Amino acid sequence: MDFFIPMLRDAAFAFVVAVGFAILFNSPRRVLHVAGILGGLGHSIRFILIQNHVGLIPATLTGAVCIGLLGIFVSHRVHTPPVVFTMPACITMIPGLYAYRAMLGCIKTTNLDLLNHDPTILMITAHYFVLTASLLFTLAIGICSGALLFRKRSSKSLFRRIF
Amino acid sequence: MENTSTPHFTEDEHATAAVSRVADLLLDIGTLLLASGAHCGRISRNIERVAERWGYSLELLITFTGLMVSIKNIANPSERIARFRHSPLHGVHFGILTEISLLTWKVVEENLSISEVERRFAKIKKSSHHPRWAVLLGVGAACACLCILAEGNWANACMAFVASVSGMFVRQEVLKLRFNPMIAFILASFTTGLIAGMDMIYQIGASPEKTLATSVLYLIPGVPLINCTIDLIEGYIPTAISRGVYAGFILLCVAVGMSLSILLLGIHNF
Repeated sequence: MDFFIPMLRDAAFAFVVAVGFAILFNSPRRVLHVAGILGGLGHSIRFILIQNHVGLIPATLTGAVCIGLLGIFVSHRVHTPPVVFTMPACITMIPGLYAYRAMLGCIKTTNLDLLNHDPTILMITAHYFVLTASLLFTLAIGICSGALLFRKRSSKSLFRRIF
Repeated sequence: MENTSTPHFTEDEHATAAVSRVADLLLDIGTLLLASGAHCGRISRNIERVAERWGYSLELLITFTGLMVSIKNIANPSERIARFRHSPLHGVHFGILTEISLLTWKVVEENLSISEVERRFAKIKKSSHHPRWAVLLGVGAACACLCILAEGNWANACMAFVASVSGMFVRQEVLKLRFNPMIAFILASFTTGLIAGMDMIYQIGASPEKTLATSVLYLIPGVPLINCTIDLIEGYIPTAISRGVYAGFILLCVAVGMSLSILLLGIHNF
């Protein structure tokens, strides 16, 4: 259980991130905590998977899909469309560092002397660019996973069918 | 055609007024949803729900900049109208999304009259944002925590907090002066980049790179990016392309602002 404390710490910080973005997106006040809890949960799932040597992209996909599916169940309880809190929750896993490195690589690519000196800049830039794009796409897939899996047009009619 | 004998003129006029009132309300709801960050599937679901309940059949054309509805009374097919409306400036407001979703379900379940829906919709339209200090604080706390999640230490997180709060403040001020939103993005990321870049120059904290990387994340157009993917999956290709281009351009503006600040501080420092 030596990863339990770091996991809680991870979830706590992700909670704050999700609540912050929920405020930025003007989510209603009564679901801010839902966004935070889902964000903390999704991010700690990803944290555990990465600790157990699962790749970054599969781990992010699992976290995002968990957020997306749980969001559908929660949305029924709080009478809110799921996207209102799944979107800020998934933003906790946004690949900021890789996006930044890709951008920095692009600036460096404009300088031919720098490229001649170190040609790996091109390779690294391409790598971070593709990685960022894949992670963003993964997050989007996670958010619409519910709609994709249940083939129902709204989460409300989905619940009518189940219960 | 024998059942549609030439209608009485005043009756016809009356019918046109009713159908155009419904079309206007549906367009109001749709454009507000579009501007508040709803994906096309949500817009068409919400509007269809209302139209169906009131006995109209609906055709809907959604573009990124506007909405066109064409509705027809099922009971009296000569009552039909097509209308187009431009959407207001895009900006994310999930509170409006929630309220409109609840309102359209109420129309279905409680059979609200059109004047009642118009009254409730006018109230939703005026619904407020979170207070400015809360947005600033939320943005700062979110970026600081993202910095820690990216394995920066507390000093880095404090720098990220200051950088993102000042950037967001600049963005709000520039938007208040009614500049182009893209200018606001460039200036905000420039401000954030300058402050966070200080971290890099003076080597504050354990990993200054993380400060720069995470303090601009509040500008990431997450909602258009994700809506773009959802629209792609659901088959609304033209809007998906527009949303993708819009989000891509915002990202480019953020990158331009950061690049300017990085070049100003000296690229060899990064």
